[in-house]
Amino acid sequence: MNTDRAENALLVSPGLLLLALAFFLPIARMLGLSVMAEEGGFTLAHFAQFVSEPYYLGVLWRTIRLSFIITLVSALVGFPLAYIMARTGPRARLWLIIVILLPLMTSVVIRTFGWMVIFERGGIVSGTLYDLGLVKRNFTLMRTETAIVIGMVQVLLPFMTLSILGVITRIDQRLEEAARTMGCNFLQSFRHVVLPLSMPGIAAGSLLAFTLSASSFVTPSLLGGPRLQVLASSIYSSVTQTLDWHFAAAQAVILFLGIALTLIPYFRLTGGRHG
Amino acid sequence: MVKAVPLWLKIATYVFIALIVVLMLAPLIVVVGTSFSANQFIAFPPRDFSLEWYRKVLSSDAYLGSAGLSLAIALLVTLSAVIIGGAAAIAIHRRQLPKSELLGALFLSPLILPTIIYAIGLLMFWSAAFGRVSFVTLWIGHTAITLPYVVRTTLAVLTESDPFIEEAARTMGAGRIQRLFFVVLPQCRPGLAAGAFFAFNISFDEAVLSLFLRTPDLTTLPVQIYGQLEFSPDPSVAAVSTIMIALTVLLILVIDRVLGIGKFASA
Repeated sequence: MNTDRAENALLVSPGLLLLALAFFLPIARMLGLSVMAEEGGFTLAHFAQFVSEPYYLGVLWRTIRLSFIITLVSALVGFPLAYIMARTGPRARLWLIIVILLPLMTSVVIRTFGWMVIFERGGIVSGTLYDLGLVKRNFTLMRTETAIVIGMVQVLLPFMTLSILGVITRIDQRLEEAARTMGCNFLQSFRHVVLPLSMPGIAAGSLLAFTLSASSFVTPSLLGGPRLQVLASSIYSSVTQTLDWHFAAAQAVILFLGIALTLIPYFRLTGGRHG
Repeated sequence: MVKAVPLWLKIATYVFIALIVVLMLAPLIVVVGTSFSANQFIAFPPRDFSLEWYRKVLSSDAYLGSAGLSLAIALLVTLSAVIIGGAAAIAIHRRQLPKSELLGALFLSPLILPTIIYAIGLLMFWSAAFGRVSFVTLWIGHTAITLPYVVRTTLAVLTESDPFIEEAARTMGAGRIQRLFFVVLPQCRPGLAAGAFFAFNISFDEAVLSLFLRTPDLTTLPVQIYGQLEFSPDPSVAAVSTIMIALTVLLILVIDRVLGIGKFASA
């Protein structure tokens, strides 16, 4: 029995060692830097700097607002999509899964590049609208919040849809049929049966989408440009441009706290089952 | 039978699905289309077709070097994540160690932490402890963020496997090593395979961690593409991206052969 334990300890120890040295230690170091003054000693100056400058408060507000909009749009699109996937035939479902998996497994950098081509002045969107006479000037969607939202919804829709799909496939279809025989029309049974039972999946998907979009970097910085900074791109410029690592660490801690605050009530509710 | 779905809703469904397909695939199709352009400028749809940009890419040291680096890291990461994560999952699954639940949560924790936060932590820690970041830094960092996927897929497979097979092997006189390699590991195989696919794909496509750890001679392919997009996108970026998309399609086909794509989606 004791040697069994030794065997298992041996099996788990490389992983634990890697996590401790290469994961938890770096995070601890970052937490330390965020409250350390340049010349050593404890300080909250980096956090004070963030809170006192309207520019950074603006960045924070943009991050929260965009994440909220992106999550909402993803849920509004992802829920019907998941429902259709759950209730369609196996062949159609397979195709829909491929439509979702192929982009999911392609680098975010490449997908963002695709949107850059589409949104560019004279690109498909503005070109077509111009040719149809719907817009007067040849406009560009690049460097707008709309571009960020569209790009991010494409990134997050697979996460949202798969979270909801997992829950909907477990709903007993006879409940819907029962509702229909009791006189509900399609929309009523959808509203009173499917929607409430899907809530755990929608909640899980939304939290995932919110945290992922709050911390996403590539898509907002390429589609939004330097003038529409979000927290993640602001962290990146503090590291690479102003070389202010303490301030970068402080911003990372603020992002981390924001995400933890979002997650805690959720883990309380579910006991971490959908983590 | 209950009355079917009303007609207008059926039509709405088809329109909705068409829009989803456009939303999901448009960026990829546009990138692929642009790569065949004969023009200097990025334009979709391209007016004249040529394979010129592929020739440029395949003779460019910058692209080939970063592609080699990405491939080397992805392969090493897959190997280390599968070995370390698989071993950990087996140990956690047996529940003989104290606090197995906590151990499981610990191994999944890199999933919850945003990559950008980990990236800046690793950069700061490594610079303070060892100075310049190196190939090893990227390898370790990528392994840390792909480890949870291997642990999760392997645990999922083990939970569904028959726990008495190992006991049976024990009563039949199989030794510790024999049980591990001939009984437990074969049981884990689908989980390890799924984890390996995840690890390879995530490491190969990973941009944020590699971006923070980049040095002039340590630029992975996604970072190289990111740099080009920030600075001067031309159709050669599209050609590289198209090659990466083709690789992804290939990977998905392999996954479908080995595991079945539907199963993979629920992992």
